[in-house]
Amino acid sequence: METTAVEYVVFALCAVIVLAGAFGVIWFRNPVQAALSLVATLFGVAVLFLNMNAQFLAAVQVIVYTGAIVVLILFVIMLLGVDVEEDLEEEPLVGQRVIALVIAAGVAGLVVAGVTLGGADLVSGARSVTGSIVDDVSNIEQIGRLLFTEYVFALEITAVLLTIAVIAAVVMSRRPSEVEPLPAENASMEPPEPMEPEAEEVFD
Amino acid sequence: MNILAAVGVDNPPLDWHALAPELVLVGLLAVLLLVDAFGGERSRWAMPSLTGIGLLAALIPVATLAYDGVVRSMFDGAYVVDNYALLFKALFLIAGYVVVLLSTNYIAEGDYWEGEYYQLLVASLLGMTVMASARDLISVFLALELLSIPAYMLAAWRKRDLGSEEAGMKYYLMGVFASAILLYGMSLLYGMTGSTLLVDIAGAIEGTEVPALVALAVVLVVVGFAFKVSAVPFHTWAPDTYQGAPTPVTAFLAVGSKAAGFVALMTVVLIAFPTQPRIFEPLIWALAAVTMIVGNLIALRQTNLVRMLAYSGVAQAGYILAPLAVAGVSGASAAMAVEAVSTYLVIYAAMNLGAFAVVIAVARKTGSAEIDSYGGLFSYSPVLAVCMSVFLFSLAGIPPLAGWYGKLTIFLALIEPGTLAGYILAVIVGLASVIALFYYARVAKVMFVDPAPDGDTTPIRVPMSLAAALTITVAVTLVVGVLPQVLARVTGAETFLSIGG
Amino acid sequence: MLLTDISPLLSATTAGESYSDFVRSYLTVAIFGLLALGMVALLLGVGSIIRPNRPQPGKYLTYESGVDPVGEAWPQTQVRYYIFALLFVIFDVEAVFIFPWATRLDSETALVDSSGNVFEILGPYGSYGLVKMLLFIAVLALGLVYAWRKKVLRWM
Repeated sequence: METTAVEYVVFALCAVIVLAGAFGVIWFRNPVQAALSLVATLFGVAVLFLNMNAQFLAAVQVIVYTGAIVVLILFVIMLLGVDVEEDLEEEPLVGQRVIALVIAAGVAGLVVAGVTLGGADLVSGARSVTGSIVDDVSNIEQIGRLLFTEYVFALEITAVLLTIAVIAAVVMSRRPSEVEPLPAENASMEPPEPMEPEAEEVFD
Repeated sequence: MNILAAVGVDNPPLDWHALAPELVLVGLLAVLLLVDAFGGERSRWAMPSLTGIGLLAALIPVATLAYDGVVRSMFDGAYVVDNYALLFKALFLIAGYVVVLLSTNYIAEGDYWEGEYYQLLVASLLGMTVMASARDLISVFLALELLSIPAYMLAAWRKRDLGSEEAGMKYYLMGVFASAILLYGMSLLYGMTGSTLLVDIAGAIEGTEVPALVALAVVLVVVGFAFKVSAVPFHTWAPDTYQGAPTPVTAFLAVGSKAAGFVALMTVVLIAFPTQPRIFEPLIWALAAVTMIVGNLIALRQTNLVRMLAYSGVAQAGYILAPLAVAGVSGASAAMAVEAVSTYLVIYAAMNLGAFAVVIAVARKTGSAEIDSYGGLFSYSPVLAVCMSVFLFSLAGIPPLAGWYGKLTIFLALIEPGTLAGYILAVIVGLASVIALFYYARVAKVMFVDPAPDGDTTPIRVPMSLAAALTITVAVTLVVGVLPQVLARVTGAETFLSIGG
Repeated sequence: MLLTDISPLLSATTAGESYSDFVRSYLTVAIFGLLALGMVALLLGVGSIIRPNRPQPGKYLTYESGVDPVGEAWPQTQVRYYIFALLFVIFDVEAVFIFPWATRLDSETALVDSSGNVFEILGPYGSYGLVKMLLFIAVLALGLVYAWRKKVLRWM
């Protein structure tokens, strides 16, 4: 499939939106504004997916990321309190910013060099799994096919991963008062009190 | 990956026998969760026993698969059960069992939540066993997340302890950062090759004329794993996390998590990048050399035993990385490297788990992990002191303890290709080991020579489960040291590399 | 070069096959979007021109009548609401995986190559797919059961 001029235009527009949104995330001082700026980025990415004929992925991007994940991020922001501001003047390690800037510039340079030097020759041109592999079959069906053949094990593992995320989140968010009596000692090593040696019996 | 052919296959054949260890673990997870959810407080006591039995039950199919000896490959080769995978599955399950033994009293007496603790532990172990068999990018990444996410939570298990919160937070942030880097490298690989299968990636990037993008992808993937195995300069999370996390969790992270990281690194590098030694060899060489030197030098200055073990673990990661730095020279050197890394990981697991078991036992009395608090240990708990010495000198590589055999296989793997780089790295391993001897011996000296700091010399009562853990680890450390051929029989690399092409 | 390429595309209905499906499908969407934006701008613009402007402090209160609000509008929320958000995300993801499965519960799809020959017929997922999906849902349901039994789902 040839890339048409309109696709270039859409790409350029979305790229601007994506980058501007990403810039906004680090620019805004108010975390809520930063999170909303992230919505622009994620939405731009969704349109980019459409541009590449991956409609299902675009829908997922909007439903999961722009919808659910940003909601989660906003919850966390509200949880932490919006009125608290970080003191950006303080530098925990001397010269931290400068070093970070140098390393970031280096990595960015490396990535740009890698993509521009070798990119064009190496991109295989193979269509992505998420786009239409075979024309006239909707890509939702093709994704389904892959999910239930090659990646069926990965699918089931994903279920375990999501369940574990629930457990971890519940553990994390339950109030400490319901959790454990406060260990008396400060030491980070040991259980609060030395116990009877044969603990298995003690339990019954 | 020929997608059209794959689409035609309606139901991929599932080899239930090959998946049995994972299925047992998923079943165990479900049982633990339901017992915890419906049993309430009454079921607390059953958790460690159930987990232990479940882990041992998962070992049964591993044993039958090993006895069967057939290489089983599923999903177009994305999931392979061969000797290499089985060795590591067994290692993870046994290490997990020892961690359960270490945790039993610690978690019960600390009045932490037990149900969730063991659920997360089992989930993490499930991720590790999947990792041992994963041969495509998606399985590798999912396995990595499945083993990491519960581990982040476990590190922060002491919710009211600031140190533990810091441990969990640092581990989480660094882990997620590493995942992002790794994922970027993986997406570049997929973009270039159009396949997630490691074997296909190797074929697609073979003989690329302009390797800039390939180099970028390889570097990102290796750096991503370097975080996981805490190689310098990506090790900064390790000491704080190890010190702050509950000690059984520290043992789990130091052994299970790190070994899984190495398995993933080895699988991806040797199966997907064997044609790119010019890129990965210098990178891993530098990582290994710096890791060994820096890890050992900082460990010299530690006054806290857990922190010292953390830096010693960093240094050990350098030893384990070293053979991979010369793995690309020839097929023989790759086989030697796989064998050396496998051997060392098994030995490292035994001696490190043992050392943490002693730390937990001693902390039951002294409540401290400072090296000074070990003074006079030999006078009041001679068995613990001797066990600790066995583990420490094994870590240092003194014969006839298992550590020397691990070091020997690493030396052999480094010398095998006969390259200058290999010889230099072998010299660095030797020098680093000499430095390491100082700080291991210092702890031994404190235990045997110094008096008890507070004059309290009541013997330490070691609970049953800790004693069992100590017995297992001491036995492995001694047996492998005296009869290394026992281990050498199971660490062969042939099937792994032949599948990897 | 870009401009010369675009101009015929705007009349895409008359153009031939050389233009991508993308353009044809989403041109309507783009036009609707632009129209919506224009409509908003128009209504607000007209409103700002013709409405009277008499500022009074009372108009800037949260409620013009009734009790004055207490405290900030951005209070710190309870951590337990986080669980609801997370459960929402997780079952959102579950839905994403169910969609592709549901498309082919009992229908067949023929794959056609460029010359119009059917080279492959994809069967429905059948009982195999059903078992896989039930397993997937069952594992996720475990998480829900856990959250329910641990009483984090109660709205307080």
